Amino acid sequence: MAVYIRGIGNISIQNTFLSTGIPQPVWYNEPYVRCIDPDFKFFLNPLDARRMSKLIKRAIITAKASISDSGIEMPDAIISGTGLGSIDDTEKFLTSMIENDEKFLQPTFFIQSTHNTISSQIAINLKCYGHNNTFVQGGISFECALSETMMLFADNKIKSALVGGYDEMTPAYFKLLDRIGFWKKEPFASQELSKSNTNGAMAGEGSVSVVLSDSKDQKTYAEIKALDLLYMPENITNSIFDFLQRNNLKSSDIDIVVAGMNGDNKGDSIYWKIFSELFSETSQAAFKHLSGEYFTSAGFGVWMTANIIRSKFLPSFVSLNNIIPGKYNNILLINHYRNKNYSLILLSAC
Amino acid sequence: MDDLVLELKTEIIKVLNLEGLKPDDIDNNAPLFGEGLGLDSIDALELIVLLEKNYGIKLEDPGKGREIFGSINIFAKYISENRKK
Repeated sequence: MAVYIRGIGNISIQNTFLSTGIPQPVWYNEPYVRCIDPDFKFFLNPLDARRMSKLIKRAIITAKASISDSGIEMPDAIISGTGLGSIDDTEKFLTSMIENDEKFLQPTFFIQSTHNTISSQIAINLKCYGHNNTFVQGGISFECALSETMMLFADNKIKSALVGGYDEMTPAYFKLLDRIGFWKKEPFASQELSKSNTNGAMAGEGSVSVVLSDSKDQKTYAEIKALDLLYMPENITNSIFDFLQRNNLKSSDIDIVVAGMNGDNKGDSIYWKIFSELFSETSQAAFKHLSGEYFTSAGFGVWMTANIIRSKFLPSFVSLNNIIPGKYNNILLINHYRNKNYSLILLSAC
Repeated sequence: MDDLVLELKTEIIKVLNLEGLKPDDIDNNAPLFGEGLGLDSIDALELIVLLEKNYGIKLEDPGKGREIFGSINIFAKYISENRKK
């Protein structure tokens, strides 16, 4: 069963919302960065928006943008992934519990604190009554949402779906992760992130919505050919080799390999090893120097890869070596989160 | 009473996140639910929390909210007659 990317919407730390293709990058030299948000008032009814957290606003706006981009009126399913849901409202709810001695708890903050509110609020806003699910699986939440969607397509249960990855990085959560060494301490420039030789990543946040369909049209971005989720693989190079073999491909059939390098020397060395063992003659690229690291950043990778395939253009600021791709037929997206959860996503031209 | 009405409107705008609305935009006699501000059942819960937190009034019978939240004037009158702080 072929699954095509028909529409996309992206709010990120770059100027990605409603942009055509990959815009000129915004570079950063600090580890804590927030999204470049559109003016929510232009896209949401104020009465509807008043009970939405910022994350929900971003999710609904990108969902609507991707649906509009796809030309599909209403998806058969809405499936989201999130690491922490509306953590900003969760923090408000918990802070209020502490300050008010566990009394006077506000229902709105509580509602936002349940992670599965994301897909449901998108559905309420769109008036979509189809299959609805939110995956909360840490650093592989987006890929889990994508995996379920692929299975629903394979079982002929759906003909279209809205899949998203949504996460926000609050100051308090950033600080907590900073204390356990998640983020860069040394000065850095995001355009040089893949060359970093220090530990810690650049944080990020984002909202990526993708409309998938079993049919394509002239505007279709790409086909999602295959997806593998791996937990702490013994030998990732072998796993990739197997993945390619199962899809009747050799490493030389991959035109571009896109990696989730986040600037953390320890985690990025895994990608460099994969490159040297399997893709030394292949065009190599990265995306997290544009998105930052967060639980569902793989969604940004899919957004970027889909744009590369449709435009048949690899921007120099995502390229890691001097090999210019001869074709844009097969792009392999490799991502891992803290060297535990790995995902392999094969996107192809259609 | 005028001070309480203004205070109440300001608190409602803050608690219910009625962005872009000013106290003067809320008609003191218009219904808060359905028509008027168009509030719903979750807003009613928020207002019950506000009553207890700001004025020490614990609403034992949530059904009474329908009467109390009839309009800003009715709401303010109920608070002034029952407030404990």
